[in-house]
Amino acid sequence: MFKYLTRPLHLASRNAIRALSGNAATTASSGPLIEVNQALNGWENKLKDAGVQDTEFNIKCIVSHVLGKKFSTVPDDFAQLKFNSAQLADFERFLEARCARMPLQHIIGEWDFMDITLKTAPTVFIPRPETEEFVRLVIQQYKQEKHVNMLEVGCGSGAMSLSMLHSLPQVESTAIERSKAATALAWENAKMLGLDNRFKVFNHTMEEDKYMPDELQDKQYDLIISNPPYVKTEEFQFLHPEVVVYENLNALDGGSDGLRIARLVFELACRHLRPGGKLWLELGNEHPPLVKTIMNLKYQGRLNYVASYYDQYKRERFVELQRPEA
Amino acid sequence: MSKLDGVVNCLEQHRALQRNITSEQDLAAEKDEDMRALMREENNVYTDLLQKQEQSMLQELLTLSDDEHYPALIFEVNAGAGGQEAMLFAQELYDMYTSYFDHMGWEYEQFSYETTDIGGLRHANLLVNDADAYNWLRYEAGVHRVQRVPSTEKSGRMHTSTASITVIPRPADVQINIAEKDLKIETKRASGAGGQHVNTTDSAVRIVHLPTGLAVEAQSERSQLKNRELALRRLQAKLMQQQLESSEASKQATRKAQQGNLNRNEKIRTYNFVQDRVTDHRIQGGTLHNLSGFLEGGQQLSGLIERLQVDRRKAHLVELLETWQPPQKAADKS
Repeated sequence: MFKYLTRPLHLASRNAIRALSGNAATTASSGPLIEVNQALNGWENKLKDAGVQDTEFNIKCIVSHVLGKKFSTVPDDFAQLKFNSAQLADFERFLEARCARMPLQHIIGEWDFMDITLKTAPTVFIPRPETEEFVRLVIQQYKQEKHVNMLEVGCGSGAMSLSMLHSLPQVESTAIERSKAATALAWENAKMLGLDNRFKVFNHTMEEDKYMPDELQDKQYDLIISNPPYVKTEEFQFLHPEVVVYENLNALDGGSDGLRIARLVFELACRHLRPGGKLWLELGNEHPPLVKTIMNLKYQGRLNYVASYYDQYKRERFVELQRPEA
Repeated sequence: MSKLDGVVNCLEQHRALQRNITSEQDLAAEKDEDMRALMREENNVYTDLLQKQEQSMLQELLTLSDDEHYPALIFEVNAGAGGQEAMLFAQELYDMYTSYFDHMGWEYEQFSYETTDIGGLRHANLLVNDADAYNWLRYEAGVHRVQRVPSTEKSGRMHTSTASITVIPRPADVQINIAEKDLKIETKRASGAGGQHVNTTDSAVRIVHLPTGLAVEAQSERSQLKNRELALRRLQAKLMQQQLESSEASKQATRKAQQGNLNRNEKIRTYNFVQDRVTDHRIQGGTLHNLSGFLEGGQQLSGLIERLQVDRRKAHLVELLETWQPPQKAADKS
């Protein structure tokens, strides 16, 4: 009860502060300092009302971004942290955007994936936590190899390829990506991380009988990885606003059974894997048994089903396939 | 036993030298004046050599390593009294010791590391994987004091703050193996579709170790995988601590470690920035200048640790000699 009585007061005082500091900002960039804890007031509920989950984490990410501090160095209670008026304005603008369900990773313009930090961009698919597990699994398999020539199909921001390159110096990666924005972003990330000497990315849309860009027509690889779009078309109505409104649907739409793009990747792998080479895929949780059936029925002698793996939520999600030895 | 070789060699050389010295009686018996002068001169040379030999024998005895062997140790840095300033100092100590570990070529692994926003350190926990490390580091345990005008101080007053170092030897029999099947890993997202269907930023991780019921959490990173690794390391540290506390061998080891420096609760060293000096309170003439060089954790720190080492052994040896009784006497007494 008390909270409801005092809240309008807090809101009023916050608006007052904003009005004040707004004036200050025009004369000096610093202006009066506002305690972060004071600036937070009411936002947590606003976020919750907008349907945002994990609000504390969202707020902490935005606070550390606004202050230009590393996430891990910001205390959970924000003790002694202050915003100047420009920062306060940013903070409120970002939270407003978050209430409109803009993905947190787009708001702060970067995201951590395994050991690297990647720039994000609107419309480019944001890597998910489970994809970290997938990459970790693949890294485990190739740690001991002397040299790995890898192809990634649909690299998005470059998360998978670049974290592989970051962990394993013996890997060289070529990527193809259909979105121009993502192709540019992946290249930018590679340069930013200093991995551009072992990374190539081609803007290319995979089609039947034109799986690879002309330059790569006769190339073969030791390893192909992909996290192809695997959301079934009928599932689109259930997706979160962050996904439907802000992410590129081309990176998600897997057709009626979710395997439309994966099927193209199978064909590509038959042609561009060296004999004995492997294809690793991250898919949806109903897909591995389906892939096994498809392999047995349609790909005998061309591609073998080796194994499937579970993610931490105990969902069967990752698939390992192999081109038979010649 | 081969460790005693050095001491035995010294002792034999010592005896040989003693035999070479002409006794007073022989000297008196010698009639020839020139010959007597020659003998005296010779005796002087031998006495000199004998003294040098005694010195090196002492050195051999002192560096004779103790019987304490631990394959690894847990090294802790904790900020003490003095708020933010103490945490800043703890961070400097942490940096100093990790550079020292590098200087010594020891392998180490960080278990937990809690920082503050302004670059301070609340607490850090390292595992140092080297059989020599314990013998060198045990005298570093205790309270370290800093005196300076902190960067957080506005009125320019000098503050005194502290940070403490703890060194816990890890006996050989403590080993931590965590089986994947014993772990229950939880994140905020309990159910519902994952992967491309949702865009959760789900990064906090909680791990429960089923056999012991121990639970650890990590949420200081944005990447879930990194938080999971962090949580696993914390779990490992906790399990190790638990095992250390329960194992008898380690109880003894820790007690020994703390007896090794009896003044554990008092400050062992002062870092005075105003006077640009480091003073170790346990040895005579324990003041060194060039504080920034010392904090680099290289040769200067290493030199002081060596001096402490020798000094402690000397004290130990004196104590041993003072309490020593010839076997017969000891037998009579009992």
